Amino acid sequence: MDYATSFYFTATEIGLSLCGLALLLVAGWQGNKSARMVTIISVAALFGAAIFSIGLFDRATGEVAGRAFGDLYRADAFGSFAKVLIYVAAAAVLIVTPRFFERIDAYRAEYPVLMLFNAVGMGMMVSATDLMTLYIGLEMSSLSSYVLASFLRNDERSSEAGLKYFVLGALASGIILYGVSLVYGFTGSTNYAGIRAAFEASFSTGALFGVVFVLAGLAFKISAVPFHMWTPDVYEGAPTPVTAFFASAPKVAAMGMLLRMAMDPFGGEADAWRQIVIFAALASIVVGALGAIGQQNLKRLLAYSSINNVGFIMIGLAAATPGGVAGALTYLAIYVAMTIGSFTALLMLRAPDGTNLETFADISGLSTKRPALAWSLLALMFSLAGIPPLFGFWGKFVVFQAAVQADLVALAAIGIAASVIGAFYYLKFIKVMFFDEPTREVEATSPVSHWVVLGICVAIMSPLGYLLTVPLGEWTAQAAASFVAAM
Amino acid sequence: MIQTLAFYLFAALVIASAVMVIMARNPVHSVLWLILAFFNAAGLMVLVGAEFIAALLLIVYVGAVAVLFLFVVMMLDIDFAELRAGFVKNFPLGIAIALVLAAELIFGIGAYQAGQLELGVASGVAAPALDASNTASIGAVLYRDYVFLFEAAGIILLVAMVGAIVLTHRRTENARGQQDISRQVRRNPDEATVMKQPEVGRGVDL
Amino acid sequence: MTEFFQSLGLTYEWAWGLATIAGILLIALPLMLSVAMVIYVDRKVWAAINLRRGPNVVGPFGLLQSFADGLKVFLQETIIPSAANKGIFILAPIVTFTVALAAWAVVPFSATAVLADINIGLLYILAISSLSVYGVVMSGWASNSKYPFFSAMRAAAQMISYEVSIGFILVCVVLFAGTFNLNDIVRAQEGFGLGVINAYGIHPLLFPMWVMFFISCLAETQRVPFDLTEAESELVAGYQTEYSSMSFALFWLGEYANILLMCILNALLFWGGWLPPIDWAPLYYVPGIVWLLLKTFFFFFMFSWVMATVPRYRYDQLMRLGWKVFLPISLGFVVVISGYLMATGHFG
Repeated sequence: MDYATSFYFTATEIGLSLCGLALLLVAGWQGNKSARMVTIISVAALFGAAIFSIGLFDRATGEVAGRAFGDLYRADAFGSFAKVLIYVAAAAVLIVTPRFFERIDAYRAEYPVLMLFNAVGMGMMVSATDLMTLYIGLEMSSLSSYVLASFLRNDERSSEAGLKYFVLGALASGIILYGVSLVYGFTGSTNYAGIRAAFEASFSTGALFGVVFVLAGLAFKISAVPFHMWTPDVYEGAPTPVTAFFASAPKVAAMGMLLRMAMDPFGGEADAWRQIVIFAALASIVVGALGAIGQQNLKRLLAYSSINNVGFIMIGLAAATPGGVAGALTYLAIYVAMTIGSFTALLMLRAPDGTNLETFADISGLSTKRPALAWSLLALMFSLAGIPPLFGFWGKFVVFQAAVQADLVALAAIGIAASVIGAFYYLKFIKVMFFDEPTREVEATSPVSHWVVLGICVAIMSPLGYLLTVPLGEWTAQAAASFVAAM
Repeated sequence: MIQTLAFYLFAALVIASAVMVIMARNPVHSVLWLILAFFNAAGLMVLVGAEFIAALLLIVYVGAVAVLFLFVVMMLDIDFAELRAGFVKNFPLGIAIALVLAAELIFGIGAYQAGQLELGVASGVAAPALDASNTASIGAVLYRDYVFLFEAAGIILLVAMVGAIVLTHRRTENARGQQDISRQVRRNPDEATVMKQPEVGRGVDL
Repeated sequence: MTEFFQSLGLTYEWAWGLATIAGILLIALPLMLSVAMVIYVDRKVWAAINLRRGPNVVGPFGLLQSFADGLKVFLQETIIPSAANKGIFILAPIVTFTVALAAWAVVPFSATAVLADINIGLLYILAISSLSVYGVVMSGWASNSKYPFFSAMRAAAQMISYEVSIGFILVCVVLFAGTFNLNDIVRAQEGFGLGVINAYGIHPLLFPMWVMFFISCLAETQRVPFDLTEAESELVAGYQTEYSSMSFALFWLGEYANILLMCILNALLFWGGWLPPIDWAPLYYVPGIVWLLLKTFFFFFMFSWVMATVPRYRYDQLMRLGWKVFLPISLGFVVVISGYLMATGHFG
């Protein structure tokens, strides 16, 4: 094993960890005075890691194929693509975070540090080519997520969200571990290549149980139905910037991990898990669409929306083809931009006294008071619904195309039908914002940083986003091809 | 012969005490049964020649984790009636999960009987025993092959620590019982005491 | 010893079994005897430091005092409080006593006189000594009474706190010796200091570790100044409050057996164990066990000395010392010592 190569391929993880350790010392000595500075440095580090990942995008497909530490970890095009999404999403969330906490004097320098360690864990998740790396990355990310969820420790809802997330997340980890132990028992290897080889030799019922348990645990992490129960509660209770984070970066990481697991070690047994994925995808789409209808709280609504979107992403996985993976990755990229935009807009909705507004009643008649914000929200909501001129449509189009090409026409048809139901609650936004009478005072200005993040997200969602289709198509195709190369 | 006997003794005790962990009405008894289960698991580890793991199991789980468990459980005031009501309500779900796990176990045993359960490497050939003591071989694997994961696990622990402190630590000004050791040591009789010669019948002014 | 029984015509299995039982008895019986004598020594030392006479009535110079106490306790009635959790109440002293004896299995009294010469001897001792807290916690809880319960809480927190730094200190020793086997650790100390002195303790990096180890041992065995679990001014007699007769005696014996174990560990790990203090051939004619017992006795004297002279810590001071002083220092020394050993090419 060549340490220099290994360090090079894992440089983002190592760099972010070292940065996190150094900033933790700063946070320890300087206390909360340094919170702003720590946040800025963390954002810079995350962007640096993202740029480094872009650099690895092509490099890692050479003769060593990005293998680090004896194939515990692989830095390939897929990993790089997912990592760029993760790091940029985490950085964007960090940019809009401080204002939210500072208003109630609850911001602490440990927050960005936990984010950095979370990003390290997520990077390990998407690059893991060994069950042990996967588990360690997953735990690192989950553990810091639990803390972030209950970061407003004096707020009952936040503590409740943290506790719920912790208990159910620990259960999911247990399920994954149980599945992992079965897979290891039946294949004699924790390495993806080894598992794949062993499965090709023989695939017993016991091993199938292992695969199912692992997939069930991962479904929990991406909040796919039937393991979605925690999502609305946690999303509602957690502080809004943390919810924005949960809905974006960890989703990419868990989804990336799931894609790699399904395509690489379990790739030869696609028939064994396809039905499960199809069921979870359809159930997520339907439950997400129906569950959202009655919601009054916008964060809860966005939670159901994220369940719904996960269902669409899983349609790409159900195809189990490189085209499907590319479609899922495209959808993920668009989804991240939409989610971060929506939550940033939510963060900008404040009463004049600084309290956050997060129900439908609060945004009625928003178009008269904050027209720019209302139009941005409109664009994002239409995009989430997949209404054509907006870029959100492209994501749905790509996954449905992949499903049809893989002869899953029925699946695609049901998905399209369900997305029509889903459009209902996005339309409710328009009714409330543009046609209802204003009932509440809304703060007139928002910080520039929020406008920048929102502006970028809205620009991507606008029809301008279609300029991205060609490069996005190339990148995702190359990322999906890294599984073929690994096979 | 003696190994077989010892194995069945330890294994039976592990299972029995694990059953008692859930059957015991009193949570403190549960924890004590759990400790017995850990003990016997350590015995099993010794039997397969992993004495280092056995010692760690005792030091970490029995010596630290279970003590803290006991510490918390002893201070709990648990309403047993309510606990049992929940038990009845969740009983069908529990049974379902238990059946699934039992099926898993049977699959596992079946596969083991069929000779498929060979641990070690992908080809099914068991990893060769290293020509070194238990401790040395674990050290070699941990710090050479899995150094990346080892360090990452360290960061997980750091995150857990930071999380616990962030969520619970409250900086209080002027805490009770605060003590500045160096100030205490620096003090000498000249600044701490005064000599007075009070006249008879009169008090002392300080 | 197995060979001896085999020569009597027994099969290997039976010979091994008998040899083990004989070995256990050979350790346990003298140990109990020495615990009795050591209690007497303890009282005599306190008395001398307090300018009193100490026990001087039973037997010549009061030598039989401990046996008289033992007989008295043995003849008393065992009282179990009606509100106690009976099973655990009775189990607690047994656990304390058994655990205190079990650790002696790996102690090397000389190069060959060791019951179980296992590879992970030091880890075994660490594991067993971490169990001794259960006796205290169980008795405190099972007594169903306020003071024993406070004592149990204190004991659990205290012993965990100090075990952490003890662990790190032992890692330092293990780094130097390169083994967990106690006999090999002792052998590694041969001529360690400038080629003449058989002790780790004189090394400038290990001496501070020994000082911390000694203090941690006091805390681990709940001796003054860390005897908060049985602080008589606050908790009557702590976890032993509700105990009487033999169950009380078992606690007493277990406690002193633990103290002796810690003394012998001081000797083994830092001061050359059964080796003579100086690496000089004539000294090797004295049997190793004599050197070991002399060293052990010296450390026991230090335990008594501390007890007679130092006032008790407050609980927050105890925690402060454990977590804020010992833990960082011992952790730092692990790093420094590994660096030093790497730099000097100790690992080859």
